[in-house]
Amino acid sequence: MKQNLRLAACLLPAAALLLAVLFARQLCPYDPNAQAFAALAAPSAAHPAGTDILGRDLLSRILVGLRTSVLATLALVAAAALAGTAAGVAAALLGGAADAVLMRVCELCLAFPGLVLALGLAALLGGGLPCAVLALGAVSWPKYARLARSRTLALLPTDAIAAARLAGDSACQLVVRHILPDVAGQVLVTAALDTGAMMMELAGLSFLGLGAMPPTAELGSMMSGGRSLLQTCPWVVLGPGAAIFAAVAAFNLLGEALRDALDPFVCQGEEHEA
Amino acid sequence: MKHKFFRPLLAAACLALLAACAAAPQAGSAFVLGDPTFSAEHEQTGIDPAQGYSGWACLRYGVGETLFRYTDAMEPEPWLAAGYERTSDTTWVITLREGITFSSGRALDGRAVRQSLERLVAANARARADLDIAAITAAGQTVTITTATPRPALLNALSDPYACIVDTQAGAAEGLAVGTGPYVAVGLTSGEQLDLVKNETYWNGTPGYDSVTVLTIADTDTLALALQAGEIDAAYGLPYASYPLFQNEGYNISTAATSRTFFAELNFESPLLQDPAVRRAIALGIDKERFVQQQLGGHGYAAAGAFPQGMAFGGDAVQAAAYDPDAARALLEQAGWVDTDGDGVREKDGQKLVLRWLTYPSRPELPLLAQAAQATLGEIGFAVQINSTADHNRLRADPTAWDVYASAMVTAPTGDPAYFFAAHCLDDSPANNGHYHSDELQALAAELDVTFDPARRAELAVAMQQILLDDSAFVFCSHLQMSLVSRADVAGLTAHPSDYYEITAALRPAA
Repeated sequence: MKQNLRLAACLLPAAALLLAVLFARQLCPYDPNAQAFAALAAPSAAHPAGTDILGRDLLSRILVGLRTSVLATLALVAAAALAGTAAGVAAALLGGAADAVLMRVCELCLAFPGLVLALGLAALLGGGLPCAVLALGAVSWPKYARLARSRTLALLPTDAIAAARLAGDSACQLVVRHILPDVAGQVLVTAALDTGAMMMELAGLSFLGLGAMPPTAELGSMMSGGRSLLQTCPWVVLGPGAAIFAAVAAFNLLGEALRDALDPFVCQGEEHEA
Repeated sequence: MKHKFFRPLLAAACLALLAACAAAPQAGSAFVLGDPTFSAEHEQTGIDPAQGYSGWACLRYGVGETLFRYTDAMEPEPWLAAGYERTSDTTWVITLREGITFSSGRALDGRAVRQSLERLVAANARARADLDIAAITAAGQTVTITTATPRPALLNALSDPYACIVDTQAGAAEGLAVGTGPYVAVGLTSGEQLDLVKNETYWNGTPGYDSVTVLTIADTDTLALALQAGEIDAAYGLPYASYPLFQNEGYNISTAATSRTFFAELNFESPLLQDPAVRRAIALGIDKERFVQQQLGGHGYAAAGAFPQGMAFGGDAVQAAAYDPDAARALLEQAGWVDTDGDGVREKDGQKLVLRWLTYPSRPELPLLAQAAQATLGEIGFAVQINSTADHNRLRADPTAWDVYASAMVTAPTGDPAYFFAAHCLDDSPANNGHYHSDELQALAAELDVTFDPARRAELAVAMQQILLDDSAFVFCSHLQMSLVSRADVAGLTAHPSDYYEITAALRPAA
């Protein structure tokens, strides 16, 4: 019962975030790009989050910005997890030179500070949110590749895999029926726990001008645009900042809930404690 | 035994501390100015006036001085010169003040001025074109300049920062210059820092600080924070949005209306902008009043032409398109630009009405202008793609890379209208980025070049601006007020309409 309550408490913020993302357009009181109001108006009943320097309603922009940031982050995490898992499983199955090359590439990527490498890649690709997602994805997949490879290597000598091979399963069938179901749980938990950090990194790239382009509402670029107003009109920065904080917290709670539910080691640990 | 050594040691340490305090630089003897524009991006790699726009730094930071300087009304008046006489349309006899020396110790005489100007025109194409010098002769304290063609604005050009008179024999280090100003340059790290010390032999007063440091702080938010933190004593180029932080008794704000203008230049090489209706629609689709009131916080006013109010050829002397989105929509409809697919962006013959807007962030309001225009032009069917980059100087030279280039330039830095047209609008203009051409404008420019009568010059300047506006070659958005913000313990830092003369002998610690 206690565990269920905890799970619900963890899932509630994520559910609220999901609803806000799905219905962002409907929840917006105004057109998020309309420069129709007085610039830098303080929060009021008409504009609960105030307006920005271009006279746009900030609540509308925060809602749409949240949608942009969350969807971009999910796309990024999904791309990194899928690419990494595919590479890791392939490396484990192929072995030999292919394994060695893939793993050295992973190590090469991990040897660089991820955000710095992503900055360089995003700049090379020309900026914009899709390029930022691509750049961060390109530096984020090795973690998943290593995880998938190690799980696959652990599975290969097991009786289940040997039996499947004896039954005539092809490599493809082996992966789909036996390896991926095992690997997926851990990848999912890692991805969920990673989402908050990815969102911060994506917002960071946008803050530095390598993410969303105007007039797209995106939380990092909104904070960047308002940073010179932090002392005089703090709501311009605090609103998007609070939205990032809330979204990252929701993702972290979701990640922990998923870990509790899917990771057998954590469950066992809790039972022992009980 | 222990105390026998400890007490004298402690006493010595205290004395050393007191001595150190006493020996520390006297309060107010050092001054630090932060400036985001002292950099290669603004063609100011040093303070050698012959190089690019480095003369601005030479004059602004009190190292160099010119033969003539601008009054508050932007009229040239003698400075290093004592007077002048125009003996013919092409001959000017300039008499120099007595008793002035360069900081190197060399006396300022006709020969030194001749050498300085000869070096300038040999190295600087802009100065060579403006001055059009055929010969310079010097005798004692007199310099005679003969121009190849009549140069009505010669005195204005001699007041330009590039005409700072420097000692060509002083052997100044790379990027530095030896002038006659209140401060002497002793160190330069291009793009980072300029170190100056007091000129002990300055001819026009006693400089108020022993040393001055100019720091290049490209990020204007960092600049504001540095001023708040006390790391710098004054700042040039703060974003308007940060002004409320300094509107209190802890700071002084000196403001002057300048000819610095936010304007958008249209690219005549762009296939899209070959259509006059598109150019006109852009001019009609930018809400200048809202930009000035909301994004500039009222620190300026909407522009009609290139030049500000107060100049005989400026302000409302020309007729510019007012913001009229309905007229812009109608114009585009008539020209066949229609939104057929309902995406909000008009098309014609398969071409989308997509504008590539190039600008740069070191003037922090320029990206805001871009976003404001993006919104209002978006309402009439344009899609505006903004590229705000420090790499704009390279990109604007490539006519395939942009459609609209927005910048903030001083349009009348010499107080004379000819500069703007010569720099931006004519066939041989170095900054005619959009390759605009008008036969009529060329003819009027030729007439302006040889017209001495100020009233006629003003008439010509108005007519020339009107041609630019009628062709929708430029959209002049706003004229700016320039401010210098200093800590309250600094006196004498006064903004000038020319945007020069920042560090002068009047700059000193407040009493």
